[in-house]
Amino acid sequence: MPSLSLLLVAPLVAAALAIVVKPYRRFVGWAGVVLASLSSAASGTLAIQVVRDGPVSGRAGDIWRVDALSAMLALCIAFVALLASLLGPGLADERDDDPARTRRFRIFMNAFAFTMLAAVTTGNVALMWVAVEATTIMSAIVIPLDRTKASVEASWKYILICSVGIALAFTGTVLAYFDFVSTAGEVPGSLNWDVLRDAAPSLHPELLQLAFAFILIGYGTKAGLAPMHTWLPDAHSEAPPAISAMMSGVLLAVAMYAIARWKVVVDGAVDRRFTTTLLIAFGLASVALGAFSLVIQRHYKRMLAYSSIEHMGLVAVGLALGPLGTFAAWLHVANHAIAKSASFLLAGRVLRRYGTTEIDDVTGLLRAMPWTGTLLAAGILALVGLPPFGLFVSEFLLVRAAVETRHLAVVGVVLLLMVVAFVSLLGHLNRMLYGDPPPAVATGERRSWPLFALAVPIALLIVLGVALPAPVDALIRQCVASLAP
Amino acid sequence: MFSQLVMLGSSGMLLTALIVLWRKHVPAYISAYRLQVWLLAGVTATVGYFASDWRLFAVAFVLVVLKAIAIPALLRTMLRRFGAQPEVRPYVNTETSLLIAGLLVLFAYVLARPWMAVTDLPTRDALPIAMGLLFVSLFVIVSRRKAITQVIGFLMLENAIALLAAVGTYGVPLLVELGVFLDALMGFLVMQIFVYQIHETFDTIDVEQLTRLRH
Repeated sequence: MPSLSLLLVAPLVAAALAIVVKPYRRFVGWAGVVLASLSSAASGTLAIQVVRDGPVSGRAGDIWRVDALSAMLALCIAFVALLASLLGPGLADERDDDPARTRRFRIFMNAFAFTMLAAVTTGNVALMWVAVEATTIMSAIVIPLDRTKASVEASWKYILICSVGIALAFTGTVLAYFDFVSTAGEVPGSLNWDVLRDAAPSLHPELLQLAFAFILIGYGTKAGLAPMHTWLPDAHSEAPPAISAMMSGVLLAVAMYAIARWKVVVDGAVDRRFTTTLLIAFGLASVALGAFSLVIQRHYKRMLAYSSIEHMGLVAVGLALGPLGTFAAWLHVANHAIAKSASFLLAGRVLRRYGTTEIDDVTGLLRAMPWTGTLLAAGILALVGLPPFGLFVSEFLLVRAAVETRHLAVVGVVLLLMVVAFVSLLGHLNRMLYGDPPPAVATGERRSWPLFALAVPIALLIVLGVALPAPVDALIRQCVASLAP
Repeated sequence: MFSQLVMLGSSGMLLTALIVLWRKHVPAYISAYRLQVWLLAGVTATVGYFASDWRLFAVAFVLVVLKAIAIPALLRTMLRRFGAQPEVRPYVNTETSLLIAGLLVLFAYVLARPWMAVTDLPTRDALPIAMGLLFVSLFVIVSRRKAITQVIGFLMLENAIALLAAVGTYGVPLLVELGVFLDALMGFLVMQIFVYQIHETFDTIDVEQLTRLRH
């Protein structure tokens, strides 16, 4: 499994390099970019391997296990980490002055990427928990990179609420493990996901229901599902843009991944309607909360954060809607990872130029920053689900899955809420793009390499939206298959 | 004998959590926490002895070193830095807090019923207590307004999980246990950094002041 080792070791090396070289030097940043590219390449190789030969894992009871779903998420994580390391402080920022701040960012950004990659590539549900808890710690520590009051507050809320949530998820994990050990005894790999899944039919349904309730609330807190989402808008809007991109783009998806893994185990023992009902309820609550909060938003970074809650809600609903819904959900996760990370990074550029996060104070974006403005507009149009971007396809498939599984009420509610989100996001975007820029803001921008880097995700979204490429289609189909009971 | 010892230790742990609800001073919380960790280590070692599992002795040892010695020392350092700030006017007053804690334990007993039904472990009577401790710690976190009290609530929550794992499954595999320890330690250290940062930027560790972010 050389590609798996490379995938995981590269971010660790990058973090170690950032620790060793003090004060921060530019070459550390570039080395980080090279290592992140290597990690992305490794995740791509893994994805190809997995689609061709099935899950990659060592002997039974091995702690690492990569199936299509792991590979797909690893690909998203590695790609977003690459974007973050390329566009984060230290390389793209012209105004970067404080080497200590940059060094801190480089250390924890890479450690954060490592913990997320570890969470999706381990087959052991308890180690997955350990890794997810570590993501909270690693990301919380870089949110107050600038030590502002708001960012310290956001970070405290984040670490406290998510640690509590994740503690509940561990309780659920212990409950399920307890049931397994008391029926099957201690066997090697008794905490491995595939072992649990195979043993599920012999487990006690009432105990697994309790366990799933804990797990859904616990990981749901990390995934930003309403009503456990309260930390999310603060943390995602106060974090440095590159960290917001990683948290919003992929960390939420990692938490959804954990829920999806457990859903399969519980479905093996309990009537499928139990998990389906819970996921639809939490999912719809999140879509509703996200959509209506978008209406009243005055900050563009918070606007993006609430849009993440809405999209995670859609993913949760999708996971409950049978194979087609699951397909739509994972495709949506990939699309959302690309669109949201690009949007947060672009919003960071806007913030640097305008010096404000208020939507009302950002006017004439297209004149002040023609390239950034255009790309941000594309990112937000993608997020509201307009063609020709990828999210249109996944949202369309999701609605179709709901129709096919006869969840007509869900179809109605989701469509209505999507319209609410659509109208309000476009309204906010409209106010930012047009008009005259404030006199204090410089106009015009050079065509620099960060802009080209940011055009890549937008181009990818168009590719995913115009025609779903065959390899992507195959990978997501395998994701659905790997979640089959 | 075995089940009685475990029961004794677990009930003691629940009582130490209640101390946080009726005492007002942070040093008392730290002592309560330390006592709770000793009890947890005792329960873990007892389970290890009766189940003849040496790994649980190792876990108990790490518990004592890390949580009964290192973390209380760090908490005391923090306290010296900020001075003893009493937990005046918590969000929920003492009487109501104790009443709610009682209801939470009752709720834990209801929730643990299916669990109790499927097992004949000698430690089964401690399961609802571990769940109760979990809920009471959660309540400490949401009902107290000093950042340091919230940290102690979080540490007690981790103890509750460790107790649950010890009495429910005779400990999770060692590798997982180590990972959980690592997370607990890192989480605590980061929270400690944040308490300092909150103190630095807000000049208080009263989380009441953290109201900058609304909508």
